[in-house]
Amino acid sequence: MRPSTIKYFLREGLSGLKKNLLMTMASIIAVMACISIMSFSYCVASNLQHILQQMEDSIGISVFLGGSPTSQEIEDMKTKISEIDHVLEVRYISPGDALEELKTDWGADEDIFEGLDETNNPLSHSFQITLDKIESQDTVLQALKGIDGIDNIRHGQTETELIMKANKVFKIAGFLVMLILGVISIMIIMNTIRISVVNRRVEINIMKYVGATDWFIRWPFIIEGVIIGVVGALLPLLLGIPIYAKIISSIYNYFPVIKIIQFRLVGDVFVVLFPVALAFGVLLGIIGSVTSIRKHLRV
Amino acid sequence: MIWLNNVTKTYPNGSRGVENLNLHIEKGDFVFIVGSSGSGKSTLIKLLLKELEPTTGDIIINRVKTNELSSNQIPYLRRNLGVVFQDFRLLPNKTVYENVAFAMRVIEAPNRIIRRNVPAVLALVGLGKKGRSYPNQLSGGEQQRTALARAIVNNPPILICDEPTGNLDPETAWGIMQLLDDINKRGTTIVMATHARDIVDDMQKRVVTLKQGNIVRDIKKGGYCDEA
Repeated sequence: MRPSTIKYFLREGLSGLKKNLLMTMASIIAVMACISIMSFSYCVASNLQHILQQMEDSIGISVFLGGSPTSQEIEDMKTKISEIDHVLEVRYISPGDALEELKTDWGADEDIFEGLDETNNPLSHSFQITLDKIESQDTVLQALKGIDGIDNIRHGQTETELIMKANKVFKIAGFLVMLILGVISIMIIMNTIRISVVNRRVEINIMKYVGATDWFIRWPFIIEGVIIGVVGALLPLLLGIPIYAKIISSIYNYFPVIKIIQFRLVGDVFVVLFPVALAFGVLLGIIGSVTSIRKHLRV
Repeated sequence: MIWLNNVTKTYPNGSRGVENLNLHIEKGDFVFIVGSSGSGKSTLIKLLLKELEPTTGDIIINRVKTNELSSNQIPYLRRNLGVVFQDFRLLPNKTVYENVAFAMRVIEAPNRIIRRNVPAVLALVGLGKKGRSYPNQLSGGEQQRTALARAIVNNPPILICDEPTGNLDPETAWGIMQLLDDINKRGTTIVMATHARDIVDDMQKRVVTLKQGNIVRDIKKGGYCDEA
């Protein structure tokens, strides 16, 4: 294709959109709505996923043993737990170690530690279990319940389950809304292109008589669809970057406690979202224009 | 250059467009197709332009059997055929120059060639100074000259004219005819459907007369036939 031809297609595509400005705007807004929802759900879902990962790294299962087991018993128990599927690592914590950890966490000078030492230690022997992934927590818990000598099990199941559920709901709801808006966008784009085709009936007719190929006639309309897709995707994405950054920093500012969990960085989110959403916008434009051309442009 | 062998066109509603047409037009010919409305003139023109498919028979243009062409080859056939209509069909929002350049642009001619050929063709049809005018600023004759310039700018070997003088007064029509004669003398084969008795009589070219879809007369050099 000659550069002059490409320039011609671009100019014709743009002029088609300008002649039909109201429908063009409607199409762009529809694509914008779709891409906004897509971006929003991606931001939320990817952050929830990110938080889940952090919890996977930090939260495991703590198992406390009753009475005073012998070191042989402790060794046996450790092997048993290690053999459970999805268990990555098992770390034994003696009552002494636990006391030391408490002291470093809370400050050794605290009054509660008074009178507590090696011989007078109310803390239990325990194991800290790390899992391969957070979803395996349930199965591992079931397996642990079958082991004798375990006094107490502690885990962050409810929190993780909540986040997992929220993540799932978000993904599904976001996808559905995106799908509906996507279909609406395609229909509006189709109508826009249809009007553009009708506006150019005479021109198309002449083009056919002088021997323009079918694709030469189709290209400007496809370009129209692509422009709608690009503009409709770029606007929410470019606005989305500062908005995302602002929201994250506001959350950190207003809820300092939340600093324990890390949100995803603007760059990390948009390096994926930007090209994918842009491609999706272009895809909407192409689907809309191609279906419309196939229906309305008899070449 | 153009061969029609036993060409019949029957429309879906059963009416006959043309029946068993046999016609041979040689390179460099100037042929009038005459006949009253409904005689099959338009059908014949549309068959040549491959706007219609013959029901039976073969149409050969420039050694190509056009009834066997696939749809993506049609554009390349049409590049051999310049076409001029009664209603000019210019683009109102483009200047004369752009209207003519348009025909070159859509077959992806290089800009350099467009800039060279368009002014030359405009000068040839006598519109050298009207390049910047818009169609609504032109007289009917000038509009038809623009259409003619557009039809020949890609230098097609065949020019098909469907009632090109139908909307013009006799004097303007004559100007167009002289121009067509010039173009013909430069080697372009011309097929022109018309009602205009005076023009046919005066030009003394080949005349093919159609009546109810059949060729009833075909003379090498002559005038309008009253049978039609």
